[in-house]
Amino acid sequence: MVLNILFESASGYALFEAVETEEIGLELESVQQSVLDLAKFGKIVKLKAFIPFTSAQNALENINSISEGILHDTLKNFLEANLPKVSKKGKFKLAVSHEKIGQAIHEAFEVSCDISDVAMEFIRGIRMHFAKFIKGLKDGDLEKAQLGLGHSYSRAKVKFNVHRSDNMII
Amino acid sequence: GRGGAKGGAKVIIEAHRHEGVFIARSKEDALVTLNSTPGKDVYGEKRIQVDGPLGADGNATKLEYRVWNPFRSKLAAAILGGVDNIHMGPGSKVLYIGASAGTTVSHVSDIVGPTGCVYAVEFAHRMGRDLINMAKSRTNVIPIIEDARHPLKYRMLMGMVDTIFADVAQPDQARIVALNAHYFLKNGGHFVLAIKASCIDSTAPAEAVFAREVKKLQEEQLKPQEQLTLEPYERDHAVVVGVYRPPAKK
Repeated sequence: MVLNILFESASGYALFEAVETEEIGLELESVQQSVLDLAKFGKIVKLKAFIPFTSAQNALENINSISEGILHDTLKNFLEANLPKVSKKGKFKLAVSHEKIGQAIHEAFEVSCDISDVAMEFIRGIRMHFAKFIKGLKDGDLEKAQLGLGHSYSRAKVKFNVHRSDNMII
Repeated sequence: GRGGAKGGAKVIIEAHRHEGVFIARSKEDALVTLNSTPGKDVYGEKRIQVDGPLGADGNATKLEYRVWNPFRSKLAAAILGGVDNIHMGPGSKVLYIGASAGTTVSHVSDIVGPTGCVYAVEFAHRMGRDLINMAKSRTNVIPIIEDARHPLKYRMLMGMVDTIFADVAQPDQARIVALNAHYFLKNGGHFVLAIKASCIDSTAPAEAVFAREVKKLQEEQLKPQEQLTLEPYERDHAVVVGVYRPPAKK
């Protein structure tokens, strides 16, 4: 059984693969132990693919979709190109963060999605070491992406009215 | 009479036991943080300029500190109340839940400095606007206008953090902290939780409410290590500090 893992970051989408080794079974406890140590974690989790967002607008559309559990075209195309082919169906699972996005992916690709504790633990590990997995990301790049996306996401939430000038009632 | 730290009064800045926090000693002492945006206040707080170390030209550089009022900030009240550890220092990554307009967040932003960062979550749009405006000039603050009860909604904005600070005044706040910890708090990371007894149960005595909250935390792998009340700054408030998934003792 191969476990693929989807990770959604502020910079883009990434797909990882967890490889079971003799010392580290894919059980909760051993995964918990291994995520702390990048040398160990890097041996069981490999980056398969990464797609950066093409623009701030593209990133904003994607976070809006992800937070509502909707499969955006960027993610759909990314998974289409990088998930193992359907002929191997049943031989792999896809770990995702939330059951809603899992359902959407399952409907589109008939992939079985995993939101178990083990899956969550892998995602914690990836969140911890993410910047080190992606070659193109320099120190601080991920934080810059988070900062930019945090502002645009939040500004959209308060509805363009950042200057506190409340709408007049005429 | 005249304001304590104004008008040429001699002020001496001392480092506080908590790294990144300072005390301004003058006629009256004040808790302060080093202003990352000198010349600019965030919410009308007092600023204090002192001479820093000598610059390359032989003239003293100017440093500016901002006064941190314990009556307006529970974190400041906890520090003055003698809390053992706030688990935030230069370089720390902090998830701040219940950021409100960002007044305390701005001091945490000073403390963690340019190598740290603060993920500031606030759900109320009115407060959120002020938070976003504050974050414009403080680039280590990532504003997140979203419901902290649904942490997965903002998962794309988050890295793993060293510490979660929460001041949400909601009956289910222990659950909110636990949820966020499970996704974003490092193993062995810490939490600092401000509890307002009347927001959880206004009929029970405060001590009973605190004890119940501590028990809820323990059930979620959040191990409380210290509890203190915020008297005299706040009534029936406590701060609970603890560790998440502490490393197993061998």
